[in-house]
Amino acid sequence: MIDFARVQKELQECSREKDSSGIRVSPKSDSLARLTGIIPGPLGTPYEGGSFEIGFYFADGYPFEPPKMKFVTKVCQSGAICLDILKDQWSPALTLKTALLSVQALLSAPEPDDPQDAVVAQQYLREYQTFVGTARYWTESFAKASSLGVEEKVQRLVEMGFPDGLVRSTLEAVGGDENLALEKLLSS
Amino acid sequence: MAASDSDDVNLAYDDTADDDYFYLDDTDDDLHPPQASDSLDDDQLQGSDSHNDDDDDLLQSSDRHDDGDHDCDDNDDGDENALEEDDHDSPISGQNFSVLTEADIRHRIKDNIAEVSSILSISKNEASSLLLHYNWSVNNIFDSWFADEKAAREKAGLFLEPLIESPDHGSSFCVICFEDYPCDGTKSTSCGHRYCNDCWSSYIKTAIADGPQSLLLTCPHPSCRAAVGEDMVGLFASEKEKNKYSSYIVMSYIESKKMIKWCPGPGCENAIDFVAGSENLDVSCLCSHSFCWNCTQDAHRPVDCETVTKWMSKNSSESGNVNYILAFTKPCPKCKRPIEKNMGCSHMTCRAPCLYEFCWLCLGDWNNHGTCNRFKGNPEEEKREKAKQYVMKYTHYFERWATNQNSMKKGAADLQKVQTEQIEVLSRIQAQPLAQISFVTEAWKQIIECRRVLAWTYAYGFYLPEECEAKRNLFEYLQGQAESGLERLHDCAEKELLSYLKDKISVEGFIEFRKKLTLLTRVTRNYFDNLVAALQNGLSDVNSGSSSVSKKRKSNWAAAAVNAAPVLDTNINDNSATAPAPAAAASAMEPWACAYCSYENQSSATNCAMCGRGSWTCDVCTYANSRTSATCAMCTEAPEP
Repeated sequence: MIDFARVQKELQECSREKDSSGIRVSPKSDSLARLTGIIPGPLGTPYEGGSFEIGFYFADGYPFEPPKMKFVTKVCQSGAICLDILKDQWSPALTLKTALLSVQALLSAPEPDDPQDAVVAQQYLREYQTFVGTARYWTESFAKASSLGVEEKVQRLVEMGFPDGLVRSTLEAVGGDENLALEKLLSS
Repeated sequence: MAASDSDDVNLAYDDTADDDYFYLDDTDDDLHPPQASDSLDDDQLQGSDSHNDDDDDLLQSSDRHDDGDHDCDDNDDGDENALEEDDHDSPISGQNFSVLTEADIRHRIKDNIAEVSSILSISKNEASSLLLHYNWSVNNIFDSWFADEKAAREKAGLFLEPLIESPDHGSSFCVICFEDYPCDGTKSTSCGHRYCNDCWSSYIKTAIADGPQSLLLTCPHPSCRAAVGEDMVGLFASEKEKNKYSSYIVMSYIESKKMIKWCPGPGCENAIDFVAGSENLDVSCLCSHSFCWNCTQDAHRPVDCETVTKWMSKNSSESGNVNYILAFTKPCPKCKRPIEKNMGCSHMTCRAPCLYEFCWLCLGDWNNHGTCNRFKGNPEEEKREKAKQYVMKYTHYFERWATNQNSMKKGAADLQKVQTEQIEVLSRIQAQPLAQISFVTEAWKQIIECRRVLAWTYAYGFYLPEECEAKRNLFEYLQGQAESGLERLHDCAEKELLSYLKDKISVEGFIEFRKKLTLLTRVTRNYFDNLVAALQNGLSDVNSGSSSVSKKRKSNWAAAAVNAAPVLDTNINDNSATAPAPAAAASAMEPWACAYCSYENQSSATNCAMCGRGSWTCDVCTYANSRTSATCAMCTEAPEP
């Protein structure tokens, strides 16, 4: 049994506070069993400026069972979220909003010792700059509504005569900024 | 311990007491009629539990004074059992343990809670939270509580003062369902975080459904560690959930105790409380499942765990070589029709018209059947034959091991049938009170235990080095005697009983049958006691032969932790001291040849110096007795002049 009355109330509360928190939650369709949450990338991180969509799916028993959450927007991870409060540390006194805030906190302080994605965690631990570059590139490419899709940037640079593979790696290294990538390509 | 006070023949409470019973029997048979005292076993088992309960308070009060380790409480109880055990003889199933039924466990839990609650002046609910958080160690609770009560309370999530102010009036907002409630519609545990009754109910229900971690359930507030204990479960859970919760408590109690293990018997819910330091590792539950405390495999005394592991892994790795079917179907040696064994004893009778009687194991004619336990290998054969020989040897031992295991299982099923149906039928048809019929169950219990021991002696025999000829001879002799005794007993209990279940023949006939079965039970028990004692001291009665091998064997036994000291030697001497035989003493001056190994013994020897056996053979049970014994040590019959 999902307590839809509570879900309804949570939605109302989120919409009341959306300006202060920046967090939005809305139903994905007519059903309240699937929701979409959006969190802004935390300031001072490679995710800054992006907005990240997270899908909620309620298992039977919400709020006594934790909701299932997954990144819809591509982040430089698999999209699965490894968070203790979504497992055994869940409490019915937590809400969708607190869960989203926890995810946001996770973005600003990833936990490479308990990683969801071992490759990214290795990168984070050993080559922090590369990690920042990759994360920024992904944010630029997927989490910004205003920015052009990465494919279009690649296509334009390839049209200028640069090989496709080189274009992609350069773009990734500079965090997705097309102009910086062009400069780098020309100087190399 | 009133019982032990009155028992003046009781031996010192030493570790080898178990093995001394049988010898006590010989000299003090009147005081210890085995068939009567043996029937105490089960009563004693259950009786001892209630006895423990009575004693718990005493134990607890002594704990308060001497501050002894409370975890030893169980051991204390157990020691009492060990002493108690000396009062009645049960040489094969010595009480190195007690069986705890679910009710017993709950009783102990209740006592623990009551103790903590009364000493710390806290509610029973708080006491049970403490016990759950301190892994049921009453001592640890007292240590930490008296060192730092606040820290102990915090660890168990028991707060003296609410963490937040609870509104005394007006409404309260439930942060789970986001609704306002009047205060009496909400509830909080010691921390003061209030939630509505419905949400509590769902919260507790979900937690209990999740499993035993619900025993450490805390307040729903994300960072609050306040315990949600039995009282809240009692208020908000359904009957079914409460039962589940209380079964988690029982589980948690048992798992926290090192000396208590669940009985691994299928479907059994009893636990076994083992007496620390007991040498006998075999325990048997009220469900009649016997197992080794150490390795939880099926009980395998007198064989050590190491041999059992070796044997079991050999069985699984060689199951391809050894055809299991071999142990279960055979062609009749006469008419060649395939025969499946459906009874426990090895005496087979083919169907009409054949009606051939034969031994299931050696397929020999039953009428001329003596013993067939000895492996007749031919060491003279050529090298390539050796491998074949080895497989045959293994097959020989495996088949006997497996057959006896099966007979044991069949025996357990038969005992069940005897206890549930046949006893009553027998009582009705023979017009005898139930108490007069208990010898049937005693016989079956003996059969089961002996089948079990006999099976494992075949594993022992397989690993007994070929070179130790003297040991092997002694072992095979003892095993053969025990086995044929058991076959007689099993045959009598299984087949002769049937006629008494159908008609009343005559009172005298029935009494005769009772006498026979009781004697067979006793004799068989004595044979097996001898066999077990001999194996447990590494067959050390034969000291000639290859000393290096016997040393090795001995050290193996020492390592097996079931070394029961050189009991047999001393007792045979005891025997001769307590029961000197004038007739034997008169002829003691002549040298004599051992009837079994033909060794020429000196005139002073009471037992054969080569094989350890006595000089005269009992006509009734064929046991070889010490030269100085006036009566047979096995069946107490006097020799015919």
